[in-house]
Amino acid sequence: MATVETAPAGFVRQDGKEKVTGTGRYTADLTFTGMAHAKFRYADHSHAKILKIDTSKAKALPGVVAVLTQDDLPDVRYGGFVQDRYLFARNTVRFEGEIVAGVVGVTEEIAAEAARLIEVEYEPLPVVTDFVAAMEPGATLIHPDLPSYDKDENIVADGNTMAYHTIVKGDAETAMAGADVVVKSHYVSDASQGVPIEPRAVVAQWQGDKVTIWSSTQVPYAARAGVAQTLQVPEANVRVVVPLLGGGFGAKCDLHFEGQVAALARAAQRPVRLVLSREEEFTIIAQRREGIAMDFETGVTRDGRLVARRAKLVLDKGAYCGEGGFLGQMAAMHACGPYQIDHISVEAFLNYTNNQPSGSVRAPTAPQVCWGLEQHMDEVAAAIGMDPVDLRRRTLIEEGAEGPTRQVFDKVGVRDTLERAVEMIGYGRELPDDEAIGVAVGWWPCMPAPSGAYVQMNGDGSATIVTGAQENGSGAVMAMPIFVGQELGIDPNDVSILYQDTDVAPWDMGSCGSQTTFNSGRAILAAAQEVREQLLEAAAEQLEADRDDLELAGGVARVKGSPDRSVAITDLVGEIGTVHGKGSGEVLDAPTGDTGGCVGRLGNETFLAPQLITQAAHVKVDRATGVVRVLKVAAAHDSGRILNRAGADGQVLGGVVMGVGLALSEGTMLDDQGRQRNPHLLDYKLLTCSDTPEIEVDWIEYDSVGPRGTKGVGEPPQVPTAGAIANAISKVIGRHVRRLPMTPERVWEAARG
Amino acid sequence: MTRSFTSAATVDDALAALSGGARPVAGGTDLVVGARQGKAPLPDAIVAIDRIPGFRVIDVSDHGLRLGTLVTHGDIVASEEIRTRYAALADASAIVGSHATRAQGTIGGNVMNGSPAMDTGGPLLCFGAAATLRSASGERSIGLDELWTGPGSTSARSDELLVAIDVPAPADGTGSCYVRLEYRRQMEIAVVGATVVVTVDGDRVVDARVAITALTPTIRRVPDAESALVGTDGAGDAIEAASAAAAAASTPISDVRGSAEYRRAMAAVIANRAITAALTRARGGSVPIPASPALHGAS
Repeated sequence: MATVETAPAGFVRQDGKEKVTGTGRYTADLTFTGMAHAKFRYADHSHAKILKIDTSKAKALPGVVAVLTQDDLPDVRYGGFVQDRYLFARNTVRFEGEIVAGVVGVTEEIAAEAARLIEVEYEPLPVVTDFVAAMEPGATLIHPDLPSYDKDENIVADGNTMAYHTIVKGDAETAMAGADVVVKSHYVSDASQGVPIEPRAVVAQWQGDKVTIWSSTQVPYAARAGVAQTLQVPEANVRVVVPLLGGGFGAKCDLHFEGQVAALARAAQRPVRLVLSREEEFTIIAQRREGIAMDFETGVTRDGRLVARRAKLVLDKGAYCGEGGFLGQMAAMHACGPYQIDHISVEAFLNYTNNQPSGSVRAPTAPQVCWGLEQHMDEVAAAIGMDPVDLRRRTLIEEGAEGPTRQVFDKVGVRDTLERAVEMIGYGRELPDDEAIGVAVGWWPCMPAPSGAYVQMNGDGSATIVTGAQENGSGAVMAMPIFVGQELGIDPNDVSILYQDTDVAPWDMGSCGSQTTFNSGRAILAAAQEVREQLLEAAAEQLEADRDDLELAGGVARVKGSPDRSVAITDLVGEIGTVHGKGSGEVLDAPTGDTGGCVGRLGNETFLAPQLITQAAHVKVDRATGVVRVLKVAAAHDSGRILNRAGADGQVLGGVVMGVGLALSEGTMLDDQGRQRNPHLLDYKLLTCSDTPEIEVDWIEYDSVGPRGTKGVGEPPQVPTAGAIANAISKVIGRHVRRLPMTPERVWEAARG
Repeated sequence: MTRSFTSAATVDDALAALSGGARPVAGGTDLVVGARQGKAPLPDAIVAIDRIPGFRVIDVSDHGLRLGTLVTHGDIVASEEIRTRYAALADASAIVGSHATRAQGTIGGNVMNGSPAMDTGGPLLCFGAAATLRSASGERSIGLDELWTGPGSTSARSDELLVAIDVPAPADGTGSCYVRLEYRRQMEIAVVGATVVVTVDGDRVVDARVAITALTPTIRRVPDAESALVGTDGAGDAIEAASAAAAAASTPISDVRGSAEYRRAMAAVIANRAITAALTRARGGSVPIPASPALHGAS
């Protein structure tokens, strides 16, 4: 097996010092001469017709420089798969965080007062907050005009079901009837949140017909496209710049307020800044982890062969589509999991409600479905009297195995991750009777996407990367100098990065889908290889050597095996004049399979370069109170080759901590009007440092189709954590906790039976 | 609208400002956080008392303990005398909010905020603490049971400033403990809490005080729980009876932090643990400070 070069000792991520020392500038830190402040007026009902909006009192307030409603903007709806939303509500409000109007004031206080002075008359409509009841016949429709909306051609919509999906393999019904044992389970997950430490901020400034928007977004190019579409201006006139981003976890994906702030800045004829409060960060962003109701049914032979899987998943889409139209299909794939199952029939319903819209949050749908499925797998094991780890040993995918849509897998390390995780946690050892170990396995795809990059050599032998990739804090972009350093034989600390500016770099999908290293890395490698070719060509001429005998190392081009015959890269750059390369690399195709029977194909019906994970959790349960302490999590991951071990480990540590929070203490609570009851950090309980368990990380490395054999890293760490904890809890209390998060009260209730 | 913020250099400056309608701020951990959450707007006139000399003093004597109003939770936890003689108070101050809250938040602000969920309330009540309130016209001392009149309200007049809290010396043979149901280990607010102060003479419990936190509109003692312990040898059945009395005295609400049913059930569990730990301490045994995490399945 070839070894992969990884980050050299002494490699320092470039944004580290400014972030750690507090000198870094985030969007909310930016100020401009004459800058004014934006505030929004939100819906007074979770579902109502707007009869009249009177802005006269707001406009008359001294210090107010602009007030906008949708009447002032083009009649254009936006949305990723279904175009169902206006920047400001038009005719109808559909959730508590819906924006009815925007106001600009010379101070934040004046803007807030003006937003209060806007008078809105409503006709309240029935509120649909139960996402399962939303699909019952006769339910109030959230979007009665859904059939006429523009939408992706593969979206199958009906009533309040925005998208319907199936995963089909063979004949599950017949196979189920022939199984030795059939196990059925029901699990429900509440919605939860990404909660980046930096609330969103947007600043917009117009010069002539062009607008520059500084935004705390994970997806600057999607934000640019959204502004262009909703304000009906050319993309060339919209520049989106992301200053340092204070975390995202998916919650900062999609178009989010850039359109409204740009429109307000144009109307105000001033730079305008919007900064969300923590409460707004909970209630108005259209991007939370969705609630899911799950029914699993598995037919199994007594010796542990999975002959059939049926599942029905109902997901809470909330009021609007956004970029989250694919959530149902992704959830359906996770209801299969990385297992060999003979026959499969899974269906997923992504339902509109009057709740906050759902969208991508770190491995969207996977942690909740994995939490349900992996408990179901333990129930299946119990039903046939088999150890749950043994059942997984017999059923996990391996090289040459067929996936849920007959995709045939290359070499995958999931079985290795299982063995390594149970080894690290000490599975099977004696424990006190209030402690137990649970195991869960999960997966997550790599998303194939276009990307582009430039690499230029500077006169002193340093280099600069120009990339459209977005750094959300994970360090994926910050690791790119390692690729360039390796290609060009220079110190990666001498490679700078120009990034997060849509006017300077090629299009990129953004910091989402675990795609940055997988796609942007490929582009940067291709660009660096162009530079490498130029340098080697010039060196071959200077050294009068065959180009194939040359290598770049230590800042020089030299003849392999004859280090005396060398020329400094600085000399080569001086000779050539300007040395730069551009690259995109070839976008990989999704694997083929037999997907013909699947409904609602949005691209997730097969998994490219799947990342595979086993985590094992050692927990202690206080039976009398239901309080659960996680003592240790062992995480073994197959993310292909690891480029930067410190960075990759950091992703697992953070993902596991998020996973423990999701498992035990997070969770958005709603009232009967779909309003959040805990939109603040006192009662939306993130894990604190004092609660974090010991986390042991190891990597199973096989070559992948990604650049340098890599796969994504960032999303999988959160996938199986809650499932592993759940299985451990059930071993202590003798019953499965069927509601996520598994709060003390829910564990206590389950323990009582 | 006129808004003002002044910083008092002396207690007389502060009292004059209060007479003029200003509200006092010390650590700001309730006032500022509450305003940001939209619980209550910041008062129009604020007088900062954090620089008044002499208010951040812990005075322990044979007569008892005097806590200046600006003593922080961190100060309380660091005091060896309090940890030894008023362990329940140290248990409570050690788990208030976060490290930052404990460094910034003052005992005076905590008491005057009048929250039924305040951690230090139960210990102060059981130790028989009194608040010294001063105004431009004089000074008076009032028991905390009379001070707290409802959630977030006190019987103090708006021109009165809490200057000190006096706690009598516990009798020999006294042990105490405060336990709180904890979902996580930091940044937590009491959902269910119990305080127990017991005095033993040999095997017999000669005095017992039990208070419940976050289970009634104000923190209150539970006489039935106390009488279930006094005169017994503090064995399991007495502890069970006292714990059941604590649960029976609870009138919890259902909210995002827990249902009334769960809270009532937990009242018995947490009271049981607090009684057991207080008895252990009274008998010379060791229970770590803070007691809560150790009694919660934390390793």
